[in-house]
Amino acid sequence: MRRIICTFFVVLIATLSFAQNKTIAAGEKLTFTASYNMSGFLTDLAQVTMETSTVKTSKNTFLRLRFKANTYTKWDSYFKIDDYYESYVNPETLQPYLYKREINEGGYYKFMQYNFDPKAKSVKSVKRKKRKDGTFWDENSNLSIGENTRDIVTTLYHIRNLDLDKAAIGSSDTFTVLFDNKQTKVKFTLLAKETIATNIGKKECYKLSISLNDGDVLKGTNSNLIWLTADANKIPVLAKFKIAIGNGELKIQSATGLKHK
Amino acid sequence: MRFIFIILGIISTILALVLSILPFGTIAFVPIVSALIFSLIAFKISKKEGKSSSLIKILLVFVIIALGLTIYNISKPNIVNDEIESISKENQTTEDSIEELESIDIEE
Repeated sequence: MRRIICTFFVVLIATLSFAQNKTIAAGEKLTFTASYNMSGFLTDLAQVTMETSTVKTSKNTFLRLRFKANTYTKWDSYFKIDDYYESYVNPETLQPYLYKREINEGGYYKFMQYNFDPKAKSVKSVKRKKRKDGTFWDENSNLSIGENTRDIVTTLYHIRNLDLDKAAIGSSDTFTVLFDNKQTKVKFTLLAKETIATNIGKKECYKLSISLNDGDVLKGTNSNLIWLTADANKIPVLAKFKIAIGNGELKIQSATGLKHK
Repeated sequence: MRFIFIILGIISTILALVLSILPFGTIAFVPIVSALIFSLIAFKISKKEGKSSSLIKILLVFVIIALGLTIYNISKPNIVNDEIESISKENQTTEDSIEELESIDIEE
């Protein structure tokens, strides 16, 4: 009996320590350059930022995780992108409560909002689109989700919070991501540990591959890669992706406000 | 032969000018280099055959213009033009989000 109780507490402590946020702090700002590969020549297209901040309500304090993508001004007259993805999470556990995504891409507009109810394991979803005459229409739905289903923003921050130093090369983990009202399994595999030169210095990194179990947005085997620094901050410094219309990469330009100095 | 190189030079120069105006970056160097090579070959053949090289000289001027435009565009810093608009939009989004989050009790 004592052994069972002991084992129970070990598992509980291990689970709680896994769930605790040890990596992400409010005030962090990572800036990236998104480039697209045109016949072997990389062309800088947009600036992508990953920012965290504190948002207070009368009862709680949330951590806001925000991705922003904006085309450089030189592209704005041809194809303007003004997107943001944000998630409001529990600062301690990174449990999402509210997710918003607004995309403005060359005249195409879409807004998605998820209100997570972790107790009921459900999500209230709002999808807003723009008609040709400029008016908007909403589509509301209620979705049942799994216990570990997260939005895409929280998933990426959650991966940074994993104990990658304890993972063996070749090991993988699958996460359920709610995207466009569909739950998609995303598999991350730790491919190697390697040192790469970045704009913020030479960094030892975890090289991870990303693949979708269903869906064909991401192409190729081990063609979609992300490098996270092999330190306590685990910041993404480089990402390479291959999609139907070509391939590109995301390179870090600056990193400020990190939790671990 | 001279005629073929002049035609290739014209096509490459047009492509070089278009790509140097558009924000495609270093890819414009491909038609610029091609245009230079074709024009110089056509120029040499013209000299050898004693034919007029004025059109080729015009092409070379356009290639240099394309080269200048490309270098200018590449050296310009990448900026995003959204500061004021973006901040006010972000503030509005935050206010809307706080309203949505008011009813929530974080589970400890």
